[in-house]
Amino acid sequence: MERSRHYLVFVSIVLLILLFASILFFHYKAYLLVSLLMIASIMIPFFVRFEWRDVAGREIVLLAMLAAIAAVGRVPFAGLPSVQPTSFIIIMAGIVFGAESGFIVGAVAAIVSNFFLGQGPWTPWQMYAWGMMGMTAGLLRQAWWMKSSWGKCLFGFAWGYLFGWFMNMWIIVSNIEALSWDFFIGIYASSVYFDLAHGLSNVFFLAVFGAGWMKILQRVQRKYGLLE
Amino acid sequence: MGNGIHSIHPFVMFFYYLSIGFFAMFFNHPAFLLAGCLALAAVNLTHDRGTAMKQWMPVMVSMTLLIILVNPFINSRGTHIFFYFRGKQVTLEATLYGVVTSMSLLMVLLLFISLNIVLNGNKILYIFSRILPKTAFLIMLSIRFVPLLKRRLTEIQDVQRVKGMTIKQGTIRNRAKSGMSILQILLAWSLEEAIETADSMKARGYGTGKRSPYIPYRITKTDQNWLIYLAIFFIISVAGGFLGYGKIIIYPKLGTLHFYPLDWVVFTSCLAVMLFPVLVEGREQLKWNYSA
Repeated sequence: MERSRHYLVFVSIVLLILLFASILFFHYKAYLLVSLLMIASIMIPFFVRFEWRDVAGREIVLLAMLAAIAAVGRVPFAGLPSVQPTSFIIIMAGIVFGAESGFIVGAVAAIVSNFFLGQGPWTPWQMYAWGMMGMTAGLLRQAWWMKSSWGKCLFGFAWGYLFGWFMNMWIIVSNIEALSWDFFIGIYASSVYFDLAHGLSNVFFLAVFGAGWMKILQRVQRKYGLLE
Repeated sequence: MGNGIHSIHPFVMFFYYLSIGFFAMFFNHPAFLLAGCLALAAVNLTHDRGTAMKQWMPVMVSMTLLIILVNPFINSRGTHIFFYFRGKQVTLEATLYGVVTSMSLLMVLLLFISLNIVLNGNKILYIFSRILPKTAFLIMLSIRFVPLLKRRLTEIQDVQRVKGMTIKQGTIRNRAKSGMSILQILLAWSLEEAIETADSMKARGYGTGKRSPYIPYRITKTDQNWLIYLAIFFIISVAGGFLGYGKIIIYPKLGTLHFYPLDWVVFTSCLAVMLFPVLVEGREQLKWNYSA
């Protein structure tokens, strides 16, 4: 736990350096390119860490199953637009199995669901947004307010918006020279309702099903001694 | 193995898509981007006569039009003024910027349409299994679980429907609730099953040694030649780009759109990279029809 926190601080410092480097050296204004490079350089260390770590077969299969459930979770809700439990499942995975597993489940769920819905320039952003959702859930799981039901709901609601904001970023970054407050506000205003629906459905799922899902996941964790 | 472009080694294709993606975001001369869009449209036509492209057409058209139409009105930078709209200047620069941005995005979308056809599941995972083996294995497992879970979902839904639990009727709250209950059953069922899968993997020797990958694709002489071809023209294009060819200055004042002789060189080498799949298919056609 302590180690991964140091590691995350390190990664965020690298991100900051990259940000400055991009402003200093890339004055040819290929912002989309720079942003993709940045996202890649934030995510690759996590994957590399996963590669180097000694992961048991049971743990890999468990993570794959969680990612698959998160991706398939959209299916029973096909009739309810913008209500989908993917984020809820990723948050649950982060809370029970920790920050790194949360990141892996989130990022893999994005890739897997896009294998069926079509990959595109949005895939890295989705991987990043869902990965970070799982990671922050894992990092904050020891916080006192995260242990209470309302704290989790608040967290889920905030991520409903954060996720939408990250996904808006790829539109903004690919059009950044046109950036004006009107444009910025226009993009974010157009997504407010979707983000609200996302946030509210997170709250609903966390409030009604959070405890039950945690019980199921913790039971498997304790019974087989996985990812503790 | 497949014919034509499908017989090219995944690494070569991956390099091709990386360089096209790079071009789309690197160059901003309208002629370069238009040529790129047309070349990629041609590439898509050789894949499946444009079937996949047709499905994406509404998205592509609406996105392009939206950016081209909206940009001049929300952005008033630039010095060549067309007219004033509600007290804001509508400029040539902003219009052109909208065109350039939309074409660059269109090119990336076309790239992904082609990528989804050519580098389908197996091939893209093959590439990642050489770079990040454990992650690729995890993704592969996860993809395999998707159809399995879908089958289980229908099974659970069938049973729950008899009990009167459905997501088709009722208030949104109740529908969401029953949808989630179905998922919860799926979770409990599948987690146990996952452990069993893992144990059977272990019984067959998973983790006892280094994972040896099955390599379904071998680099042939042709692949090597194509890779060299792509690399040479890619380097020429990028070097030209860094010298400022293939790019225009839009803000604060529109620069020249003129094509200098070296612009033509960079343009041709870009086209040589972008039309690579068409060349492969064309070569195959010629061989099929005219060789003895």
